[in-house]
Amino acid sequence: MCSVHDTVEFEKRGIPAAVIITEAFARAATFQFRSKGMEGHPYIELPHPISNLTAGQIREVTLRQIDALARQLTA
Amino acid sequence: MEIKGFIDPTFSAVQAKVPPARRPASLAGKVIGLLDNTKEGADIILQTIGDALVERYGAARAVIRKKEMFSKVAAPEIINEMAGEVQIAVAALGG
Amino acid sequence: MDEFEFFLEKQWSDGFPVVTPTEERVARMLAGTRAEPDQALGDIPPAMGPATVRTVAIHAVMAGCKPEYLPILLGAIPLLLRPELNLNAVQGTMGSAAPLLIVNGPYAKQVGVHGGNGCFGPGFRANASIGRAVRLMLTNLGSGIPGIGSSTVFASPLRYTACLTENMELSPWESLAVARGYAPDANVITCAMVDPPRYGFDDFSTEPGRLLTGIADSMSALNMMNMSVPRCAMVVAMCPTQARICAQAGMGRAAVVERLRELAGRPVRELRRGGTWRTERAEKLNIDFHNEDLFVPAIKHPDDLHLIVAGGLGPITAVLPGWGGGSIAVHGEYEV
Repeated sequence: MCSVHDTVEFEKRGIPAAVIITEAFARAATFQFRSKGMEGHPYIELPHPISNLTAGQIREVTLRQIDALARQLTA
Repeated sequence: MEIKGFIDPTFSAVQAKVPPARRPASLAGKVIGLLDNTKEGADIILQTIGDALVERYGAARAVIRKKEMFSKVAAPEIINEMAGEVQIAVAALGG
Repeated sequence: MDEFEFFLEKQWSDGFPVVTPTEERVARMLAGTRAEPDQALGDIPPAMGPATVRTVAIHAVMAGCKPEYLPILLGAIPLLLRPELNLNAVQGTMGSAAPLLIVNGPYAKQVGVHGGNGCFGPGFRANASIGRAVRLMLTNLGSGIPGIGSSTVFASPLRYTACLTENMELSPWESLAVARGYAPDANVITCAMVDPPRYGFDDFSTEPGRLLTGIADSMSALNMMNMSVPRCAMVVAMCPTQARICAQAGMGRAAVVERLRELAGRPVRELRRGGTWRTERAEKLNIDFHNEDLFVPAIKHPDDLHLIVAGGLGPITAVLPGWGGGSIAVHGEYEV
């Protein structure tokens, strides 16, 4: 999907990048990274769906992934 | 290529490998670029991430950019513009 | 190794056997065009496998096409790759949309593309094999495969094949292409990303008011993406009988489209009861979520309703909703 594309474009420009997806798109994301030459690039996976959660719930599930996100973006 | 008496047109992409960008030791002082693809929830996710990376990891600040449409790739101009301003990027919401 | 097993086991197989592509069969297929085999037509997303005249011919062989169908396929590829159709996104979507090819003009008729009774179903080689060749390219070259490049929840039967023409023998109107301004002898393809047809049965209405009201109802379901997004194509295929009811009342195509656009929709009050409607959707449509009486049309842009006359005689019209993630139908002439 397009957010994977954008992530790869940042990486190509020397900018460490992460992408947040929901679990419904996990396999597609894995495929997309491979097909763009970044096989194995990690992503942050949130439970699906997001669209029917309250803002508070979205914040909560996101915060649970912050440390994992920071690890993906640092050495 | 004809093998076994017929053609196998199976396509498998052989992509040139893209090496990941070098990661910094920490996010302290870094400007975080947040790319919002306008899908429902993406803005809340990115706001949460921006705030948390500043508060907990010492990032300098976070900037949010919206894409035109979630289903399209970001215009190169948006990416180039962000790349000039940020040291770290997060894109949401995939799919 | 059994050649049929070989292809049936491919990840990109559609589950049906293919005609084994041999150099001889491909050479015969290539006789259906004057174009050079090496001519590049574009890369199919998301895997970006290249479509050349030759690779299109190979997939046409596999799908069971006749060589005379090849020009239609060669004309379809550039349309499929137009940015506004957004093939890359549709390949990966959770949704089910498939590219419907509506082929107008004399060549479609000449090679047997069918637009009469049964046109959405099995039994017509041109319809079946042209649409299938497209799908095989989307899966093989593009990797639009469930669990691989595609997150589709259900896919749809239109993802086996989706190609037809209008029923110009019985239509009271000019073709969709002519209505767009193409010459009557031009060979034109319209491509729209759509879900399978929802059929409306009306053997009672004898005048357009009641008839179109019934059709409009099936254009505005609560959980249909058309209701909730700014741009979303929709195809309405009226059978000739129902098209004639409108024509006999003095309505041309444009009048029917306009009337359907006026009728098809829901007040905010109803939209709030179920489906995808919510404040964020209202905001993107510049609609006040709290104005319960406000009528929200299903078709918000004049270019998004594509009316065709197809099918056999009878009291049925088909509504094919589009893809709500941002896909605009495309059209263009092709060479034979």
